[in-house]
Amino acid sequence: MSVYAAPIQRLVSELSKLPGVGNRTAQRLAFHILRTSTEDADALAQAIHDVKQRIGLCEICCNLAEGPRCRICEDDRRDASVICVVEEPADVIALERTHEYRGRYHVLGGALSPIDGIDAEDLHIAELLRRVAVPESAVREIVLATNPTTTGEATALHIAEALHERAPQVSVTRLASGLPVGADLEYADEVTLGRAFAGRRAV
Amino acid sequence: MAGPLKTDAIVLRSLRYGEADRILHLYTPHRGRIGAIAKGVRRTRSRFGGRLEPFRRVRLICHEGRGELLTITGVETLDAHAALGEHAATLDAAARACDAVARIFETEEPHPEVYNLLANELALLASNPALACHANALAFRLKLLVAAGLAPALSSCASCGELENIAAFSAAAGGVVCSACEAGSFPLALETYEFMTAALAQPLAQAPSCSPGALREAERAISETLEHHHHLRLRAAVAR
Repeated sequence: MSVYAAPIQRLVSELSKLPGVGNRTAQRLAFHILRTSTEDADALAQAIHDVKQRIGLCEICCNLAEGPRCRICEDDRRDASVICVVEEPADVIALERTHEYRGRYHVLGGALSPIDGIDAEDLHIAELLRRVAVPESAVREIVLATNPTTTGEATALHIAEALHERAPQVSVTRLASGLPVGADLEYADEVTLGRAFAGRRAV
Repeated sequence: MAGPLKTDAIVLRSLRYGEADRILHLYTPHRGRIGAIAKGVRRTRSRFGGRLEPFRRVRLICHEGRGELLTITGVETLDAHAALGEHAATLDAAARACDAVARIFETEEPHPEVYNLLANELALLASNPALACHANALAFRLKLLVAAGLAPALSSCASCGELENIAAFSAAAGGVVCSACEAGSFPLALETYEFMTAALAQPLAQAPSCSPGALREAERAISETLEHHHHLRLRAAVAR
Protein backbone atom coordinates (compact mmCIF):
# COMPACT_ATOMS: atom_id res chain seq x y z
CA MET A 1 0.00 0.00 0.00
CA SER A 2 1.27 3.48 -0.88
CA VAL A 3 2.25 5.87 1.93
CA TYR A 4 0.89 8.80 -0.09
CA ALA A 5 -2.71 9.92 -0.45
CA ALA A 6 -4.31 8.56 -3.62
CA PRO A 7 -4.16 11.86 -5.66
CA ILE A 8 -0.42 12.24 -4.95
CA GLN A 9 0.22 8.64 -5.85
CA ARG A 10 -1.71 9.13 -9.09
CA LEU A 11 0.35 12.23 -9.96
CA VAL A 12 3.61 10.39 -9.23
CA SER A 13 2.51 7.46 -11.33
CA GLU A 14 1.53 9.74 -14.28
CA LEU A 15 4.77 11.76 -14.08
CA SER A 16 6.90 8.62 -14.00
CA LYS A 17 5.51 7.70 -17.43
CA LEU A 18 7.43 10.68 -18.94
CA PRO A 19 10.66 9.83 -20.79
CA GLY A 20 13.74 9.99 -18.56
CA VAL A 21 11.66 10.33 -15.40
CA GLY A 22 11.96 7.56 -12.84
CA ASN A 23 9.96 7.08 -9.68
CA ARG A 24 12.22 9.24 -7.50
CA THR A 25 12.24 12.17 -9.96
CA ALA A 26 8.47 11.81 -10.32
CA GLN A 27 8.10 12.11 -6.55
CA ARG A 28 10.30 15.22 -6.51
CA LEU A 29 8.26 16.83 -9.32
CA ALA A 30 4.99 15.92 -7.58
CA PHE A 31 6.12 17.59 -4.35
CA HIS A 32 7.28 20.63 -6.32
CA ILE A 33 3.82 20.89 -7.90
CA LEU A 34 2.22 20.57 -4.45
CA ARG A 35 4.37 23.45 -3.17
CA THR A 36 3.64 25.81 -6.10
CA SER A 37 0.67 28.15 -6.15
CA THR A 38 -2.68 26.93 -7.44
CA GLU A 39 -2.37 29.36 -10.40
CA ASP A 40 0.96 27.85 -11.48
CA ALA A 41 -0.34 24.30 -11.13
CA ASP A 42 -3.48 25.21 -13.11
CA ALA A 43 -1.33 26.87 -15.80
CA LEU A 44 0.71 23.66 -16.16
CA ALA A 45 -2.42 21.50 -16.36
CA GLN A 46 -3.99 23.91 -18.88
CA ALA A 47 -0.81 23.95 -21.02
CA ILE A 48 -0.80 20.14 -21.17
CA HIS A 49 -4.52 20.13 -22.02
CA ASP A 50 -4.13 22.82 -24.72
CA VAL A 51 -1.20 21.15 -26.43
CA LYS A 52 -3.19 17.92 -26.73
CA GLN A 53 -6.36 19.71 -27.90
CA ARG A 54 -4.92 22.30 -30.26
CA ILE A 55 -1.79 20.83 -31.82
CA GLY A 56 -2.15 18.53 -34.81
CA LEU A 57 -0.29 17.80 -38.03
CA CYS A 58 0.06 20.33 -40.84
CA GLU A 59 -2.04 19.19 -43.80
CA ILE A 60 0.84 19.96 -46.20
CA CYS A 61 4.10 19.01 -44.50
CA CYS A 62 2.97 16.88 -41.50
CA ASN A 63 4.90 19.14 -39.11
CA LEU A 64 3.26 20.08 -35.81
CA ALA A 65 0.73 22.84 -36.34
CA GLU A 66 -1.91 24.81 -34.50
CA GLY A 67 -4.70 24.72 -37.05
CA PRO A 68 -4.64 23.11 -40.49
CA ARG A 69 -1.23 24.49 -41.56
CA CYS A 70 2.07 25.12 -39.81
CA ARG A 71 3.73 28.54 -39.71
CA ILE A 72 6.33 27.60 -42.32
CA CYS A 73 3.74 26.40 -44.87
CA GLU A 74 1.72 29.58 -44.28
CA ASP A 75 4.74 31.82 -44.83
CA ASP A 76 4.70 33.02 -48.47
CA ARG A 77 8.31 34.22 -48.21
CA ARG A 78 9.58 30.64 -47.94
CA ASP A 79 10.91 29.10 -51.17
CA ALA A 80 8.28 26.59 -52.34
CA SER A 81 10.61 25.03 -54.91
CA VAL A 82 12.77 23.25 -52.29
CA ILE A 83 11.52 20.73 -49.73
CA CYS A 84 13.74 19.44 -46.95
CA VAL A 85 12.65 15.98 -45.73
CA VAL A 86 13.28 15.24 -42.05
CA GLU A 87 12.35 12.44 -39.66
CA GLU A 88 10.87 14.35 -36.71
CA PRO A 89 9.49 17.84 -35.92
CA ALA A 90 12.53 18.41 -33.65
CA ASP A 91 14.74 18.17 -36.78
CA VAL A 92 12.89 21.15 -38.30
CA ILE A 93 13.83 23.23 -35.24
CA ALA A 94 17.49 22.14 -35.53
CA LEU A 95 17.61 23.13 -39.22
CA GLU A 96 15.81 26.44 -38.61
CA ARG A 97 18.48 27.32 -36.04
CA THR A 98 21.08 27.32 -38.83
CA HIS A 99 19.36 30.24 -40.66
CA GLU A 100 20.83 28.71 -43.84
CA TYR A 101 17.66 27.24 -45.29
CA ARG A 102 14.68 29.22 -46.59
CA GLY A 103 12.72 26.43 -48.27
CA ARG A 104 9.88 24.29 -46.92
CA TYR A 105 9.85 21.01 -45.02
CA HIS A 106 8.26 17.60 -44.98
CA VAL A 107 8.19 15.62 -41.74
CA LEU A 108 8.10 11.84 -42.17
CA GLY A 109 7.25 10.97 -38.57
CA GLY A 110 10.10 8.47 -38.16
CA ALA A 111 12.40 6.28 -40.23
CA LEU A 112 11.95 2.99 -42.04
CA SER A 113 12.73 -0.05 -39.94
CA PRO A 114 10.96 -3.17 -41.21
CA ILE A 115 12.53 -5.22 -38.39
CA ASP A 116 10.69 -3.01 -35.87
CA GLY A 117 7.52 -3.14 -37.95
CA ILE A 118 7.89 0.42 -39.35
CA ASP A 119 7.21 0.22 -43.08
CA ALA A 120 6.80 2.93 -45.73
CA GLU A 121 3.02 3.01 -45.09
CA ASP A 122 3.64 4.05 -41.47
CA LEU A 123 5.50 7.21 -42.51
CA HIS A 124 4.28 10.30 -44.40
CA ILE A 125 6.02 9.25 -47.61
CA ALA A 126 2.85 9.02 -49.71
CA GLU A 127 2.01 12.63 -48.73
CA LEU A 128 5.47 13.74 -49.91
CA LEU A 129 5.06 11.98 -53.25
CA ARG A 130 1.64 13.60 -53.66
CA ARG A 131 3.18 17.04 -53.00
CA VAL A 132 5.88 16.51 -55.61
CA ALA A 133 4.32 14.39 -58.33
CA VAL A 134 1.29 16.62 -59.14
CA PRO A 135 1.57 18.47 -62.51
CA GLU A 136 1.12 21.92 -60.92
CA SER A 137 3.91 21.29 -58.38
CA ALA A 138 6.53 24.05 -58.12
CA VAL A 139 9.05 21.72 -56.42
CA ARG A 140 12.45 21.55 -58.13
CA GLU A 141 14.59 19.99 -55.40
CA ILE A 142 14.12 17.57 -52.53
CA VAL A 143 16.80 17.62 -49.81
CA LEU A 144 16.88 14.34 -47.88
CA ALA A 145 17.86 15.28 -44.33
CA THR A 146 17.09 12.03 -42.53
CA ASN A 147 19.54 11.07 -39.78
CA PRO A 148 22.87 9.56 -40.91
CA THR A 149 21.97 6.31 -39.15
CA THR A 150 21.23 2.93 -40.70
CA THR A 151 17.46 3.49 -40.60
CA GLY A 152 17.85 7.10 -41.81
CA GLU A 153 19.99 5.97 -44.76
CA ALA A 154 17.50 3.22 -45.64
CA THR A 155 14.69 5.80 -45.57
CA ALA A 156 16.63 8.22 -47.78
CA LEU A 157 17.40 5.46 -50.32
CA HIS A 158 13.74 4.40 -50.39
CA ILE A 159 12.48 7.96 -50.94
CA ALA A 160 15.12 8.73 -53.57
CA GLU A 161 14.10 5.61 -55.50
CA ALA A 162 10.40 6.53 -55.34
CA LEU A 163 11.10 10.13 -56.41
CA HIS A 164 13.27 9.09 -59.37
CA GLU A 165 10.36 6.92 -60.51
CA ARG A 166 7.43 9.25 -59.81
CA ALA A 167 8.99 12.69 -60.35
CA PRO A 168 12.13 12.36 -62.51
CA GLN A 169 12.19 16.14 -63.16
CA VAL A 170 12.89 16.84 -59.46
CA SER A 171 16.49 16.88 -58.32
CA VAL A 172 17.12 14.78 -55.18
CA THR A 173 19.99 15.70 -52.87
CA ARG A 174 21.24 14.35 -49.53
CA LEU A 175 22.75 16.38 -46.70
CA ALA A 176 26.53 16.10 -46.69
CA SER A 177 28.08 14.17 -43.84
CA GLY A 178 31.50 14.75 -42.42
CA LEU A 179 33.44 16.12 -39.50
CA PRO A 180 31.72 18.20 -36.82
CA VAL A 181 33.17 21.74 -36.55
CA GLY A 182 35.54 21.99 -33.61
CA ALA A 183 36.29 18.25 -33.41
CA ASP A 184 39.72 16.62 -33.73
CA LEU A 185 40.37 14.56 -36.86
CA GLU A 186 42.06 11.77 -34.90
CA TYR A 187 38.86 11.00 -32.99
CA ALA A 188 36.64 10.74 -36.07
CA ASP A 189 35.32 7.28 -36.86
CA GLU A 190 36.27 5.57 -40.11
CA VAL A 191 32.93 5.89 -41.88
CA THR A 192 32.50 9.60 -41.06
CA LEU A 193 36.08 10.37 -42.06
CA GLY A 194 35.70 8.30 -45.26
CA ARG A 195 32.57 10.24 -46.21
CA ALA A 196 34.19 13.55 -45.39
CA PHE A 197 37.07 12.59 -47.67
CA ALA A 198 34.76 11.42 -50.47
CA GLY A 199 32.77 14.67 -50.22
CA ARG A 200 35.82 17.00 -50.18
CA ARG A 201 35.51 20.19 -52.21
CA ALA A 202 37.85 22.60 -53.93
CA VAL A 203 38.87 25.70 -52.00
CA MET B 1 31.35 -10.55 -12.53
CA ALA B 2 31.96 -6.79 -12.23
CA GLY B 3 34.89 -5.29 -14.14
CA PRO B 4 36.01 -4.47 -17.68
CA LEU B 5 35.15 -6.81 -20.53
CA LYS B 6 37.01 -6.74 -23.84
CA THR B 7 35.26 -8.45 -26.70
CA ASP B 8 34.70 -8.38 -30.43
CA ALA B 9 31.06 -7.90 -31.39
CA ILE B 10 28.68 -7.26 -34.24
CA VAL B 11 26.00 -4.61 -33.66
CA LEU B 12 22.68 -6.32 -34.37
CA ARG B 13 20.33 -3.56 -33.39
CA SER B 14 20.41 -0.08 -31.94
CA LEU B 15 17.55 1.53 -30.01
CA ARG B 16 17.29 5.17 -28.95
CA TYR B 17 17.28 5.54 -25.20
CA GLY B 18 16.88 8.62 -23.05
CA GLU B 19 18.23 12.00 -24.10
CA ALA B 20 21.25 10.94 -26.17
CA ASP B 21 21.97 7.26 -25.41
CA ARG B 22 21.45 4.06 -27.33
CA ILE B 23 20.84 0.53 -26.18
CA LEU B 24 22.64 -1.96 -28.39
CA HIS B 25 22.00 -5.61 -29.09
CA LEU B 26 25.37 -7.18 -29.80
CA TYR B 27 26.52 -10.60 -30.91
CA THR B 28 29.88 -11.70 -29.55
CA PRO B 29 31.95 -14.81 -30.24
CA HIS B 30 32.35 -15.91 -26.62
CA ARG B 31 29.43 -14.33 -24.76
CA GLY B 32 26.65 -14.89 -27.31
CA ARG B 33 24.06 -12.14 -27.48
CA ILE B 34 24.54 -9.33 -25.00
CA GLY B 35 22.94 -5.96 -24.36
CA ALA B 36 24.91 -2.78 -23.74
CA ILE B 37 24.31 0.91 -23.33
CA ALA B 38 26.31 3.54 -25.21
CA LYS B 39 25.96 6.78 -23.30
CA GLY B 40 25.83 10.05 -25.22
CA VAL B 41 26.39 8.28 -28.55
CA ARG B 42 23.75 10.35 -30.35
CA ARG B 43 25.55 13.61 -29.64
CA THR B 44 27.70 14.88 -32.53
CA ARG B 45 30.64 15.21 -30.15
CA SER B 46 30.43 11.63 -28.89
CA ARG B 47 33.78 9.86 -28.94
CA PHE B 48 32.03 6.75 -30.29
CA GLY B 49 30.95 8.62 -33.45
CA GLY B 50 29.31 6.32 -35.98
CA ARG B 51 31.21 3.24 -34.81
CA LEU B 52 28.21 1.69 -33.07
CA GLU B 53 25.72 1.71 -35.92
CA PRO B 54 24.05 -1.63 -36.81
CA PHE B 55 26.10 -4.11 -38.89
CA ARG B 56 29.46 -2.74 -37.72
CA ARG B 57 31.98 -5.30 -36.47
CA VAL B 58 33.80 -3.72 -33.55
CA ARG B 59 36.16 -4.39 -30.66
CA LEU B 60 34.58 -3.17 -27.45
CA ILE B 61 35.65 -2.35 -23.96
CA CYS B 62 32.66 -2.53 -21.63
CA HIS B 63 32.14 -2.01 -17.96
CA GLU B 64 30.19 -4.86 -16.48
CA GLY B 65 28.26 -3.72 -13.46
CA ARG B 66 25.50 -5.40 -11.52
CA GLY B 67 22.78 -4.45 -14.01
CA GLU B 68 21.67 -6.40 -17.04
CA LEU B 69 23.25 -3.99 -19.53
CA LEU B 70 26.97 -3.49 -19.99
CA THR B 71 28.23 0.07 -20.38
CA ILE B 72 30.43 0.70 -23.40
CA THR B 73 33.56 2.65 -22.52
CA GLY B 74 35.68 2.15 -25.66
CA VAL B 75 35.19 1.03 -29.24
CA GLU B 76 37.41 0.32 -32.21
CA THR B 77 36.11 -0.51 -35.70
CA LEU B 78 37.15 -3.87 -37.13
CA ASP B 79 34.90 -3.80 -40.19
CA ALA B 80 32.56 -0.87 -40.92
CA HIS B 81 30.76 -2.53 -43.87
CA ALA B 82 30.20 1.02 -45.14
CA ALA B 83 29.17 -0.20 -48.61
CA LEU B 84 26.03 -1.79 -47.15
CA GLY B 85 24.52 1.69 -46.91
CA GLU B 86 24.77 2.31 -50.65
CA HIS B 87 21.85 0.04 -51.60
CA ALA B 88 18.43 -0.40 -50.01
CA ALA B 89 18.53 -4.14 -50.82
CA THR B 90 21.83 -4.78 -48.99
CA LEU B 91 20.67 -2.77 -45.96
CA ASP B 92 17.48 -4.83 -45.87
CA ALA B 93 19.33 -8.15 -46.28
CA ALA B 94 21.81 -7.23 -43.53
CA ALA B 95 18.96 -6.23 -41.21
CA ARG B 96 17.17 -9.54 -41.80
CA ALA B 97 20.39 -11.51 -41.22
CA CYS B 98 21.02 -9.70 -37.91
CA ASP B 99 17.39 -10.13 -36.89
CA ALA B 100 17.56 -13.90 -37.55
CA VAL B 101 20.69 -14.23 -35.41
CA ALA B 102 19.22 -12.07 -32.64
CA ARG B 103 16.07 -14.14 -32.43
CA ILE B 104 17.46 -17.66 -32.86
CA PHE B 105 20.45 -17.08 -30.57
CA GLU B 106 19.00 -14.83 -27.89
CA THR B 107 20.97 -16.09 -24.90
CA GLU B 108 24.54 -15.58 -23.70
CA GLU B 109 25.44 -19.14 -24.70
CA PRO B 110 28.57 -18.76 -26.85
CA HIS B 111 28.40 -19.72 -30.54
CA PRO B 112 31.61 -18.48 -32.16
CA GLU B 113 30.58 -20.16 -35.42
CA VAL B 114 27.44 -17.98 -35.55
CA TYR B 115 29.55 -14.86 -34.99
CA ASN B 116 31.87 -15.89 -37.82
CA LEU B 117 28.95 -16.79 -40.09
CA LEU B 118 27.28 -13.40 -39.54
CA ALA B 119 30.57 -11.52 -40.01
CA ASN B 120 31.08 -13.43 -43.26
CA GLU B 121 27.51 -12.73 -44.47
CA LEU B 122 27.80 -8.98 -43.77
CA ALA B 123 31.19 -8.78 -45.50
CA LEU B 124 29.80 -10.63 -48.53
CA LEU B 125 26.76 -8.35 -48.78
CA ALA B 126 28.99 -5.26 -48.50
CA SER B 127 31.36 -6.50 -51.20
CA ASN B 128 28.75 -7.79 -53.64
CA PRO B 129 25.26 -6.21 -53.61
CA ALA B 130 24.02 -8.93 -56.00
CA LEU B 131 24.15 -11.35 -53.06
CA ALA B 132 21.23 -9.51 -51.41
CA CYS B 133 18.90 -12.14 -52.85
CA HIS B 134 16.50 -14.81 -51.65
CA ALA B 135 18.89 -17.72 -52.28
CA ASN B 136 21.68 -16.18 -50.19
CA ALA B 137 19.29 -15.29 -47.35
CA LEU B 138 18.02 -18.89 -47.23
CA ALA B 139 21.52 -20.38 -47.41
CA PHE B 140 22.42 -18.18 -44.42
CA ARG B 141 19.36 -19.33 -42.47
CA LEU B 142 20.07 -23.00 -43.25
CA LYS B 143 23.55 -22.58 -41.79
CA LEU B 144 22.05 -20.91 -38.72
CA LEU B 145 19.82 -23.98 -38.29
CA VAL B 146 22.94 -26.16 -38.27
CA ALA B 147 24.52 -23.97 -35.57
CA ALA B 148 21.32 -24.11 -33.52
CA GLY B 149 21.31 -27.93 -33.69
CA LEU B 150 18.22 -27.93 -35.89
CA ALA B 151 19.79 -28.96 -39.20
CA PRO B 152 17.13 -30.71 -41.27
CA ALA B 153 17.93 -34.37 -42.09
CA LEU B 154 18.38 -34.44 -45.86
CA SER B 155 20.34 -37.62 -46.53
CA SER B 156 17.51 -40.06 -45.87
CA CYS B 157 13.90 -40.19 -44.67
CA ALA B 158 13.84 -38.57 -41.22
CA SER B 159 11.13 -41.03 -40.11
CA CYS B 160 12.20 -44.45 -41.39
CA GLY B 161 15.69 -43.97 -42.81
CA GLU B 162 14.63 -44.89 -46.36
CA LEU B 163 17.17 -43.60 -48.88
CA GLU B 164 14.92 -43.63 -51.95
CA ASN B 165 11.54 -42.05 -52.78
CA ILE B 166 12.14 -38.80 -50.85
CA ALA B 167 8.97 -36.82 -51.58
CA ALA B 168 8.16 -34.34 -48.85
CA PHE B 169 9.41 -32.27 -45.90
CA SER B 170 8.17 -32.72 -42.35
CA ALA B 171 9.28 -30.30 -39.62
CA ALA B 172 7.92 -32.66 -36.97
CA ALA B 173 10.04 -35.53 -38.33
CA GLY B 174 13.04 -33.17 -38.61
CA GLY B 175 13.73 -33.28 -42.33
CA VAL B 176 12.80 -34.91 -45.62
CA VAL B 177 10.49 -37.91 -45.59
CA CYS B 178 9.73 -40.67 -48.07
CA SER B 179 6.39 -41.23 -49.80
CA ALA B 180 5.42 -43.85 -47.18
CA CYS B 181 5.97 -41.43 -44.23
CA GLU B 182 4.65 -38.18 -45.72
CA ALA B 183 1.64 -37.71 -43.43
CA GLY B 184 1.70 -34.18 -41.93
CA SER B 185 4.32 -33.01 -44.40
CA PHE B 186 4.31 -30.86 -47.55
CA PRO B 187 5.56 -32.01 -50.97
CA LEU B 188 9.15 -31.04 -51.72
CA ALA B 189 10.31 -30.63 -55.33
CA LEU B 190 13.60 -32.26 -56.33
CA GLU B 191 14.92 -28.77 -57.20
CA THR B 192 14.23 -27.57 -53.63
CA TYR B 193 15.89 -30.65 -52.16
CA GLU B 194 18.97 -30.05 -54.33
CA PHE B 195 19.05 -26.37 -53.35
CA MET B 196 18.94 -27.17 -49.65
CA THR B 197 21.67 -29.82 -49.81
CA ALA B 198 23.92 -27.59 -51.95
CA ALA B 199 23.32 -24.53 -49.72
CA LEU B 200 24.36 -26.54 -46.66
CA ALA B 201 27.41 -28.03 -48.35
CA GLN B 202 28.83 -24.93 -50.04
CA PRO B 203 30.24 -21.69 -48.60
CA LEU B 204 27.87 -18.71 -48.42
CA ALA B 205 29.64 -16.95 -51.29
CA GLN B 206 28.72 -19.85 -53.56
CA ALA B 207 25.07 -20.20 -52.51
CA PRO B 208 23.27 -22.02 -55.35
CA SER B 209 20.43 -20.37 -57.22
CA CYS B 210 17.13 -21.94 -58.24
CA SER B 211 13.60 -21.06 -59.28
CA PRO B 212 11.43 -18.73 -57.12
CA GLY B 213 9.01 -21.60 -56.46
CA ALA B 214 11.77 -23.81 -55.08
CA LEU B 215 13.05 -20.92 -52.91
CA ARG B 216 9.57 -20.45 -51.44
CA GLU B 217 9.45 -24.17 -50.60
CA ALA B 218 12.88 -24.02 -48.98
CA GLU B 219 11.81 -21.00 -46.90
CA ARG B 220 8.71 -22.90 -45.79
CA ALA B 221 10.88 -25.85 -44.71
CA ILE B 222 13.15 -23.54 -42.69
CA SER B 223 10.25 -21.61 -41.15
CA GLU B 224 8.33 -24.74 -40.16
CA THR B 225 11.48 -26.27 -38.62
CA LEU B 226 12.02 -23.18 -36.47
CA GLU B 227 8.36 -22.95 -35.51
CA HIS B 228 8.13 -26.62 -34.57
CA HIS B 229 11.40 -27.00 -32.67
CA HIS B 230 12.18 -23.47 -31.48
CA HIS B 231 8.65 -21.97 -31.26
CA LEU B 232 9.91 -19.04 -33.28
CA ARG B 233 8.56 -17.32 -36.37
CA LEU B 234 11.15 -15.28 -38.26
CA ARG B 235 10.34 -12.43 -40.60
CA ALA B 236 10.33 -13.29 -44.32
CA ALA B 237 13.84 -13.87 -45.67
CA VAL B 238 13.36 -11.12 -48.28
CA ALA B 239 11.02 -8.12 -48.64
CA ARG B 240 7.74 -9.11 -50.33
